[in-house]
Amino acid sequence: MPIAKLARLVAATGVALWAGLASAQPVTVKMWMHEHPPRIAIDKAIIAEFEKANPDIKIQYDVISVADYSTKLITAFAAGSGPDLFNNTSTLVTQYFNARILAPVDYAAMGLVDEGALLAKYQGSGFDGIRFQGKLYGVPSELSNWACFANNALWQEAGLDPKKDWPKTWEALPGIAEKLTRRDANGVPVRRGFDFNWAIPGAFWYVPNTMLHQLGANMIDEAAYKATLDTPAGRQVFQYFQDWTGKLRLGGPQYTDSRTDFLAGKLAAECSFGVWGVPQMEAAKISWSVLPVPKFAGGVSDNGMDEYAFYMMVNARSPSPVQKAAWKFARFYTDHAGELFAGAGLFVPRAEVTDSAAFKANPAAPFFVAELKRAKFSPRVVGYAQVLDAILRGRDKVVQGEKVDAVVPVMNEEVNTIMNRERARAATLVK
Amino acid sequence: MRYKWWGLAFVLPAVGFFAAFNLFPMLFGLYLSFTDYDLLNPPIWVGLDNFFNLWDDRLFRQALGNTLVFVAGATLPVWVLSLLAALVFDQAFRARDWLKAAFFLPVLPPIAVIAVLWRVLLHPNGVITSLTGGWWGITEIRWLADTALAPFSMIAVHDWAMIPFFMMIWLAGLAAIPPEFREAAAIDGAGPVRSFWHVDLPQLRSTAVLVAALSSIGAFQTFALQYVLPNDAGGPANSTMVLALLVLKYGFQYFRMGDAAAISVVMFGMILCVTLGQLWFNRRA
Repeated sequence: MPIAKLARLVAATGVALWAGLASAQPVTVKMWMHEHPPRIAIDKAIIAEFEKANPDIKIQYDVISVADYSTKLITAFAAGSGPDLFNNTSTLVTQYFNARILAPVDYAAMGLVDEGALLAKYQGSGFDGIRFQGKLYGVPSELSNWACFANNALWQEAGLDPKKDWPKTWEALPGIAEKLTRRDANGVPVRRGFDFNWAIPGAFWYVPNTMLHQLGANMIDEAAYKATLDTPAGRQVFQYFQDWTGKLRLGGPQYTDSRTDFLAGKLAAECSFGVWGVPQMEAAKISWSVLPVPKFAGGVSDNGMDEYAFYMMVNARSPSPVQKAAWKFARFYTDHAGELFAGAGLFVPRAEVTDSAAFKANPAAPFFVAELKRAKFSPRVVGYAQVLDAILRGRDKVVQGEKVDAVVPVMNEEVNTIMNRERARAATLVK
Repeated sequence: MRYKWWGLAFVLPAVGFFAAFNLFPMLFGLYLSFTDYDLLNPPIWVGLDNFFNLWDDRLFRQALGNTLVFVAGATLPVWVLSLLAALVFDQAFRARDWLKAAFFLPVLPPIAVIAVLWRVLLHPNGVITSLTGGWWGITEIRWLADTALAPFSMIAVHDWAMIPFFMMIWLAGLAAIPPEFREAAAIDGAGPVRSFWHVDLPQLRSTAVLVAALSSIGAFQTFALQYVLPNDAGGPANSTMVLALLVLKYGFQYFRMGDAAAISVVMFGMILCVTLGQLWFNRRA
């Protein structure tokens, strides 16, 4: 055998050996999830089950605290060490999509025929928050909206019954809230009847948007990519918040946040709990009633609170085999929706959940499913954090007593400036 | 020569550490201030655009104004009140050491812990409202939720926590003044005020500059108080938004790392100017 032939044979054998070795190496999927303590044990059990069934795939699971999650995610992507599979909320996904971090859903890797097969599993809902330019970029692991809850004992104390007396309109709410409010000699509320959740910044993304949807308007026209706050509807909503805190003195950002006070039995009603809030109320031994979100008189839509979702998404910068393994696991993980609802209260509209004993045992669950069918997603924008801050600044000015007619146009202009700048930046930065 | 190389070898770890964790981030920050960088894509060189854009940035102008108000409130009263406290504790009286220790206590916990504590105390219907508003029958004061009051609440909490620290520096300065100077002044008929004005204060010149420099540098860099104390960081309506907090917001919430770096460079320049000015004043005096 000539030496050249021998060399080729040795080289070919070597390449084949290395290739074989490489293919035998397990694929590791780095997965990041935000911290939700009841979910962690379930996640670990699902991962163990998946790894047993797929010995060629390892899941490296990391849980990050909610407060640090977005910052750590973005800095990890910046350092090139971002996760292969991660979850995040619908309000923040546009940033990742714009930076081309998100990989489109790989139906084949998920063992699905096409998009229709995926949608069918979720009864068609929950995907509006993750669809960009007609394609899906994630799978919902939680779909949620808020509704109103009343503390039955406090209502009874005021001679009211939440089932009968709960107001149907925002206009009627102050009258009922006043009956439930306890004030000191100076008129300062010592126990509020109803209040908005002023402490969670995102609440002022969902609540004004919900109100505007009811009025047939929106804070931002996502398709036209411009702020639509400076409208009669926009002014009506911000005037409502000003009257609530100022003229009516029914609540405001200076008080303890509404969820904390409600769970402490110091607030008769509030509207920022999802279906996941029920176990917390049960633990706090509060006799509760779940109630629909009020509407504006003369509103054109009967939608409840805007919905939001957490999605499992795959890093488009990860190697292709890792992406495929990540999508495979995402399918496996979300197929455990029944356990995730029963053990961690994470709702998705899948048969595994709606047919489960846990769902049927939760008296609020059917109510939330009905509300979700009428809910809309709040608009998605690139500079979400900046836009939200601009809205919060406007809200604060209105609450401080500045004229709504002066604040809203400035807020509108500020939001437009942010959106235009961020879109221009995105066009320049993403190559 | 051999001795010299050994010397270099010994300082190398410290120099390396400083270069890696101080010098490099500073220089990299300076580089970033000339770029547009969203953390998700490579930085793009934009020259001085970030600096020019700052002057049109409403949020930056507001944060700059808030920072200057905070620096004024956290420097001048601290300077005067810590000196007064030091003069009191420089006297001999019963239980002085116990009282001094008690007065010093606010310095011990981290500022974030102090902020959490004061958040409870400054509840609109809380203890401080009862103590102050009670005289006039007021039962609710929005210490942290009113745009006019919140900046001053920040200053008050900061000064409460920092005055004892600077008092200790003044006390060290007072202890270094030879007692013969005061004795000579007393023999010449100088009273306590005159003795302080003509003997103590000139001797405390270096201490005075040190207190002014440290308090103003610390005030320019204030962050934790404005982050933790208000209901929302920098709020309400950005009335407590300071430059250091804006750096965090721009960099890690808005993903405008270039703008965040430019603000840091501006802050560095301001602190440098103030410090050089104080040193110049000290030399001239």
